[in-house]
Amino acid sequence: MNDPTLIGPCADYEHELVELHDGELPPEHARIVRLHVAQCARCRAWAEEFAALDATLAAELPRPALSPAFDARLRERLSVLGVPAVRGELRSRIELEHDSLIESLRKVTWRRGLLGAIGSAAATLGVLAAAKGLLARSTDWTSLLGDGPERWVTMGTLGATIAVAALSWSAMRRGVLGLGWPR
Amino acid sequence: MDAGIEDHLAAGRHARAFDLVVPAYKDRVFRLAYSMLKDRAAAEDATQETLVRVWKALPGFDGRAQLGTWIYAITRNTCLMELRRRRPMVSFDDPDSTEAQHAAASIASGPAADPERDNLLRLVDALPRNQQEAVRLFYLEDRSYEAVAEQLGMPLGTVKNLLHRARKRLMELARPDEVIAA
Repeated sequence: MNDPTLIGPCADYEHELVELHDGELPPEHARIVRLHVAQCARCRAWAEEFAALDATLAAELPRPALSPAFDARLRERLSVLGVPAVRGELRSRIELEHDSLIESLRKVTWRRGLLGAIGSAAATLGVLAAAKGLLARSTDWTSLLGDGPERWVTMGTLGATIAVAALSWSAMRRGVLGLGWPR
Repeated sequence: MDAGIEDHLAAGRHARAFDLVVPAYKDRVFRLAYSMLKDRAAAEDATQETLVRVWKALPGFDGRAQLGTWIYAITRNTCLMELRRRRPMVSFDDPDSTEAQHAAASIASGPAADPERDNLLRLVDALPRNQQEAVRLFYLEDRSYEAVAEQLGMPLGTVKNLLHRARKRLMELARPDEVIAA
């Protein structure tokens, strides 16, 4: 079954010997392990050595305790802290902070949108004023648009200018951060 | 025990819940802190710090974890912060490291006064840190695997394995002329 010159239990029984010692084995399993230990010198020696170590550790390892002044010291520390905020209060405080942050971001967006709209309107009016000046110089304003394909290019340019102005106004109105118009 | 505490918590009576938490947990928190810090005064300070943190955080405890699990997690974090704060010390985490071998060697030539106890403490100190903590806590908790598992936040099987390896290693270290097991 084993070589008595070696130290250590049979590999199959090592964990069982510890569990037997700790009283963790079911009765039937414990009986089988005890039978084996009775017949195996190596397992018996190892189990005895383990039991001795366990007893020594239990007896010799320090078992410190809290000092008698512990509770008073804790009460003193807590009295300085006061009552902690309850969950509901914490939650409403966080929600208030969140709402005020969103509100301030919306104000920034609104201001930015207004400035963008004014800028876009000014640009569009400038284009229209320039067009009016050109029209005033000529009685036949249709001649300004040129003939044939040239007319369509000029009209397309004017349309594109108005479209760009409208788009930039719209983009500024929504804001760069996409936070939306104040609801 | 925890049921009474949780009733108070559910009703928003945090101060009354805390009045029950302190007597129920202070000693176990202290033993866990001692197993990690290896120093009585430091463990007591860590216990104070843990309970102050529990007091502050109790209104936010949502009951998703067991109260004990939550408190022991705070304890472990407090102790880990304390360990990090300390100056770097010689590590015995690797039992085969030079330091661990020196520690084991010094056991044989240690001081003569109460040699058995001194040797034992040095042997435990020569174990990897997680094994040291498990061994100290296991004997502080009157050999309860369940208590160790709960306090260290580990599965029961892991704790049994850890303790088995630790005690087997202690037996090996205690043999001056070690013979390799089959």
